[in-house]
This record gives sequence, C-alpha cells and structure tokens, in this order.
Amino acid sequence: MEFDMTKPVPETQPWSEKFWEGTKQGKLLIQVCKDCKSKIFYPRKFCPECWSGNLDWIEASGKAKIFTFSTAYDMVEPKFTDELPYTIAYVDLEEGIRMMTRIIECKPEDIRIDMEVEVVFQERGGYFLPYFRPVGKK
Amino acid sequence: MSKGKIAIIGIGEVPTRNMPERTHWDIIYDTCMEAIKDSGLHKNDIEGAISVTPQAQPKIAAELSFGKLPEELGLKGCKDAVSVNAGGASTSNAIRLAEQWITSGIAKAVLVHHVTVHSTIPIPDLINFFARAGVDLQWEYPYGTTYNIIMGLMANRYMHESDCKPEEMASVVTALRSWAAKDTNSFFYGKEVPSVEKVLASALLNTPLHKRESNVLGDGGSAMVIVSAEDAKKMKRPAAYKLGDSVRYFSGTCVMRDFYKVAEGFVVTAKEAMAQAGITKEDVSLWNCYLAYPLAHPLIAELLEVAPQGMGGKYFLEGRMSFGGDIPWSSIGDAPGRGHTGSGVSTACYVETARQLMGKAGERQVKNCKYVYQNAGGGSGFNNIATIWGKEI
Repeated sequence: MEFDMTKPVPETQPWSEKFWEGTKQGKLLIQVCKDCKSKIFYPRKFCPECWSGNLDWIEASGKAKIFTFSTAYDMVEPKFTDELPYTIAYVDLEEGIRMMTRIIECKPEDIRIDMEVEVVFQERGGYFLPYFRPVGKK
Repeated sequence: MSKGKIAIIGIGEVPTRNMPERTHWDIIYDTCMEAIKDSGLHKNDIEGAISVTPQAQPKIAAELSFGKLPEELGLKGCKDAVSVNAGGASTSNAIRLAEQWITSGIAKAVLVHHVTVHSTIPIPDLINFFARAGVDLQWEYPYGTTYNIIMGLMANRYMHESDCKPEEMASVVTALRSWAAKDTNSFFYGKEVPSVEKVLASALLNTPLHKRESNVLGDGGSAMVIVSAEDAKKMKRPAAYKLGDSVRYFSGTCVMRDFYKVAEGFVVTAKEAMAQAGITKEDVSLWNCYLAYPLAHPLIAELLEVAPQGMGGKYFLEGRMSFGGDIPWSSIGDAPGRGHTGSGVSTACYVETARQLMGKAGERQVKNCKYVYQNAGGGSGFNNIATIWGKEI
C-alpha cells in the first residue's frame, strides 16, 4: 500500500502570496480594508465586509492567546506520523484574528486554554508556517 | 417551506457492515425496492429520483448523477433524476428538492436514496479524500489537522467552559451504542455496549478523543418514498409528515467557525422549526440528533434545552439518553453507533425518524412517538438544518 508522504504546503491564491512572503521575512501580516477598516483573515480578493478591492497589509504583533487546542497522538495522515505528538490550536491574535496553528516548544501536558503565545516561523517546502510557542520561550 | 406539504410513506434500508461483496447496485436495488414496496405504490408511480451523492466514490457518483437509477430499476414513470451533494446535509436538501418537485407538480412521488461502499475504496484514496474534504488546504491542512482534531478542538473548549468531565463525554458512546446494540441495521447490532471505563481505557487519538469515541467506516444504504401530505393522508398508511425546517450557515472553513454563532444557530433553528410545526420542546418524542461524533452531543443537548446548561454530560452519564432512558435521543446511535457511511448517516437518520413515527422501530420503538426533532449538518459543520416531523398533520 503506497501513501503520498509529501508534506503539504499551503495551496495559495494570488491575493494571499503577500502573506506568505511576509512569513519568509519573519512577519505575520494581516490584510486590512482601507475603506471599511476591517481586519481580514484569511486574505481575500475583495473585502468580505464591503467588497472593496482597496486592500492593504499591517504587521501583527505576533502575540496571541490559545482559544482551544487538541494534541494528536495517533490516527493522523501517514505523512504527519513522524511528527507525533503535535498540538493543533486556534489562537486569537491581539488584532482580533483567529487562526489555526501548531503550538511548539512546550510539553503537550503544559498547554492550556488562554495560554499566552507568540509567533515563530517554521520552514516547510519553501514556505514558513506561523507556529506559536509560549511567550518568553527563547 | 410551510407546514405539512410532504410526507415519507415508505422506507428501506440494509444493515451497515463491511461487505465488499455487496456492490453499490446490490444496495441500491435492495433499499429502493424495499422503500417502494413499503410505500404501497407501484414502481412506475415514482416520478422523481434523487440520489444523495456518495463521497469518495467517483464511479457510482457519476453513474447516479448521469441518471442511471430510473433506468436500472425500471421506474417507467420517472420524469427526472438528480444527485444532491452538501455532504452530511445532502439528505435534507434532497428532501427539500422532493418537496419542490411535489408542490410544483413535477412529481407526485419521489424516491430519495443513498448508497456507500467504503470497503472497496483503496485505503490511500480514503485517507486522501477524508484528510482534505472540509479542511482548508491553505490555512488548516498544512498544520496536520484531521476531522478528529477538529472535533477535539471543539470538545476541549466546551469542556473548559462547561466543566464537563471526560467520563461524562465517554458516557455518550455508551448511550449511543446502547441504541445501536438493538438496531439490526447497525454495525454494532448485538455487540457489547462499552462501559465508560472501557471507552476511557481505549487509546487516546487526540485530546480529548479516545479511539472508541471516533467512528468506524461501514458500507450501507437507505431509501425513502415521499409524496404530498394530502396524498399520504388519503392513502391511510403510516407516514412521517414534515412540519418544520430551519437552517443557518456557519462557515466552510473550520477555523472561521465562531463557536458562539454555531451555538446560537442550533438554538435558533430548533426554535424556528418548532414554531413552524406549532409545537414546543415538551412535545418532542425523540431528539434524533445527527452530529457525527459523540463529543458534540452534551453541548447540543444543552443548546436544545433538553439538559440544563452545564448538565449535558451528566444527563448522558446518568443514562437518561440511553436505550430505556427517559429522554429518547439518537435512536440509531448517530454515526458512532450506526457505523459511518459518509453522507448516508443523515439519510439513515431521516429513515429512522420516519420509522419511529410509522411505529416500525421494533424493540427501539419510542412510546407514543408523535413528533421528532431531526437535524443534519454538512461538511465539517458548515451549517445546521433543524426539521420537525410528525405522525399526523
């Protein structure tokens, strides 16, 4: 039985490339609408609030709180089994954005809802995925 | 959708099993013929055929969507055939389409069915399909998420907010499997009902989900015949009348799904569907919830006000939703009890709703079953559809 063991990279859209360029430079960018001032995640072609195409980017502080998490020990795709255990989380950025990520540099049993975390970028296939670690962990 | 326009008058189903020798068309013949015979109609009375699209099975999905079903079954009076796909919400939409065909005069009797054969799909193809379906390929998939993990994220937050304990969560499996053990169509028919201790002793897949709290894939299928409420009444046969239908959309991408908006959606859709039906929650005889995973059941029990806030898990642990308990709940045991047949679990749930209202549920028959709450959701939970069905109009 043959499984595709290639680690997936983000399947981007033209309007999200700036986000991934930002991560390469160690920046977590958030799309903003210059007309209605909405902060937009995930990045869109047009503002989902007012349909304006007048969009820009701001750099997030990279600080967030864990909204919820789940640590995987088994039954993930074969391409991820070598990374077990790992923790997937939803984190709420200071800017009011929620994103999916991984929590790293921390024992799974120490992870808590509302834990303060900060962004750190990890390379995979030329992309730098925004992961998060407990604040102050250098 | 207004009150009481259609009714289910015939049902058919095959047991959910892993039986690779039982082909898609075996199941289609058996379920559809049984449903039509059960309705008291002749096969040529069926004027419309609607297939709930099988997931991850492109060959049969193409055959059905390109109109083979009426030809294969010799439905000589059939005017149209179509496939519907909204994941787990497909059956709800198939029923809505049947309602449109019936009320607009396109068809007087409509066959709705589903078939799935997981056991012949190569495992790499199954993994490839279910790893990506309903998971965003840019913002979620690269992190290594799975449906199990998505459910774990929801459950951990719920447990944090409600103080629901792991043993309470585990007791949902016991409750669902207690129904399944009595259900001849269940994967777990006649099998031991796992205790809370046994559920918690099974391997931890991802927090807080144990192996026995996840799903087993199975092959299966079911079918129903739908006619106008007026015709059903004239036929003087057991029927399930559709009395209410309400829906809210949440989000296609899991991380975009606001937990509180989802909670509000469950509350509002139940209230709207019950208002259309002219009933209150006290009138509901059976809460036939389709949630795919056990971990969501305590939360939904609270949102439906079946259990007080913070008491959903306790109600399950006390056995109140189990077979023989005082709150009839998910009487096929939802996907964890029935065995997961992809989008077919919701078809089986609607068939069960009709079975209970028709008084044909045998040992599992809910006493004086008059009104059933039946919900469904698509994808990884992009919406919630609440419907109310009644024994009479």
